[in-house]
Amino acid sequence: MAQAMAQNMFRISQVSLNNVVRCNAYAFAPATSQAKAYSSASTTDKEKSKNPIQKSVFISQSTDIFTNLALEDWMYRNFNFNNHHVLLMWRNSPCVVIGRHQNPWVETNTTNVAHQGMEIARRNSGGGTVYHDRGNLNLTFFTKREEYNRRNNLEIVSRALFREWGIESVITPREDIVVKNTYKQQISGTAAKLGRPNAYHHCTLLVDVNKVALRQSLHKDDKGIVTNATQSVASPIMNLCEINQHVKVERMLGAVGWEYLRTCPETLEDGGQDLINKQRGFQLINPTDNWFPGLNKLKEELSSWDWRFGKTPKFQVNKSFRVPKEFLGEGEMGVQELKVSLEVNKGIIDDVTLKLPPGLLSTNGFHGEVDVVTSLRGQPFSERAVVSLENALHDMSTKEGNLQGKSQFVMNCMRQVMQSV
Amino acid sequence: MRSLRGLHYSSVARISRCFVARWQGNVIRYISISINCLSGSRRFTDKHEWISVNENIGTVGISHHAQKSLGEIDFAQLPDVGAVLEKEVTCGALESVKAASEIFCPVSGKVIDKNASVEQTPRLINSSCYDKGWLFKVELTKPDELNRLMTESEYETFIKSGVYK
Repeated sequence: MAQAMAQNMFRISQVSLNNVVRCNAYAFAPATSQAKAYSSASTTDKEKSKNPIQKSVFISQSTDIFTNLALEDWMYRNFNFNNHHVLLMWRNSPCVVIGRHQNPWVETNTTNVAHQGMEIARRNSGGGTVYHDRGNLNLTFFTKREEYNRRNNLEIVSRALFREWGIESVITPREDIVVKNTYKQQISGTAAKLGRPNAYHHCTLLVDVNKVALRQSLHKDDKGIVTNATQSVASPIMNLCEINQHVKVERMLGAVGWEYLRTCPETLEDGGQDLINKQRGFQLINPTDNWFPGLNKLKEELSSWDWRFGKTPKFQVNKSFRVPKEFLGEGEMGVQELKVSLEVNKGIIDDVTLKLPPGLLSTNGFHGEVDVVTSLRGQPFSERAVVSLENALHDMSTKEGNLQGKSQFVMNCMRQVMQSV
Repeated sequence: MRSLRGLHYSSVARISRCFVARWQGNVIRYISISINCLSGSRRFTDKHEWISVNENIGTVGISHHAQKSLGEIDFAQLPDVGAVLEKEVTCGALESVKAASEIFCPVSGKVIDKNASVEQTPRLINSSCYDKGWLFKVELTKPDELNRLMTESEYETFIKSGVYK
């Protein structure tokens, strides 16, 4: 019932969108060998006799990452894609999106990202970490599981780039789109989710992204994190507007949308205007709970700390700090290190171990391997845990007065561990 | 021997080929191990999971067809021990080539164990999907559900029909 409501209730302004799309979306590209392969063919008998899968293009009106991820999830769970394929197009305000099985503390500096006012979101599909802003267009191709084919989808995008702007591109073995003659710089990244009965493949298209912000937010330092979470594969990227200044996101919506509608889903044959006329066309989507019952609940789950950070596969943080000479006992020679080790499971600190070198020993207070478990265990892996540790060490040092300098040093080391991620 | 009743000929032949023991006690022990390994005792779902039950504890994994179509598995997200699952509900995911594929629980029950080796080394699922690549164990709450699952030969036919990927 929910799905029927969604399908019937938001055919808003297909006509107005048609007016936005320029006529040259239909124009054929210059007569190169590539263009001839794309040239429109009249509907064949074979085409008519096929089981007619119809296509729709949905364009989300929201730019909130959690709303759009929730919309995507809602459609995956509730929509009936029997003989109906959907391309959902969406854009977001600046944010960082990690893959389902990734570690946000590995992939980005969570403190810095938060200071820049950006959200970190975890999507449901696999793959690596990406930066989104309004210069990036997201495309989600929904089908039944049996009809899932991501190479075909990328082929459609590649054709759209050529038809609209004459940009030649290739699809790499890793299923990224790379523009020809550009030193293997990606303009697209891909990920997917497979279930029963539905599946989706989504990809990004870098049209006019803020590359400085992208580099800063995806910058990875060696933080001493040991984990089996999936790691991102860093690749050089470029914007399509650097290749052709006329490439704009608004035009991209039309270019990819029309190419999607004119392409036969199984054979990838270009059905031209005839095939377009048989499709369901474009729809502007307003993702609210009224149109998509249950959407708010999905959005809440996707924006919760438990999903974004708590879903992180368990990991260990190991860091060493050189102990300043003044804290070492008399007669202690050489370089000695304080080793901090944290075990984090589901985003919560399970265990903390401090290994103090012999030089930091005292007649009272720290002794060798110190367990600061009671103060930190159970705390979310965040700045809050540092505050808790500060309090615990402060309590210790007030009891053993001469430990203040040393405990300050240990505390600073702990803070560094937390803030570095 | 009592434990051999009900098994068909090829299973008996397999046992006699594989296992040799001097004492009766050892023979029975080897045979009870081999019964668990026999592919005939496994049941399959149309979502390409298998389950093998012993004393109401089901061991769940994915089929050879599934691991092959997924490609090299990079990450296995398994259900937590203690989780109560319903039949055909999503209970985890396997990631391969940037795709997260859902795992569906074949029967209703409570998860009593998960394969830590697979969490550490997900490629075990590819190399040994029926043995070392098992995913989790569940204590069945509705054993009758097993009867609605496919036997191995039914599953082979299902695969060959090519209807489902």
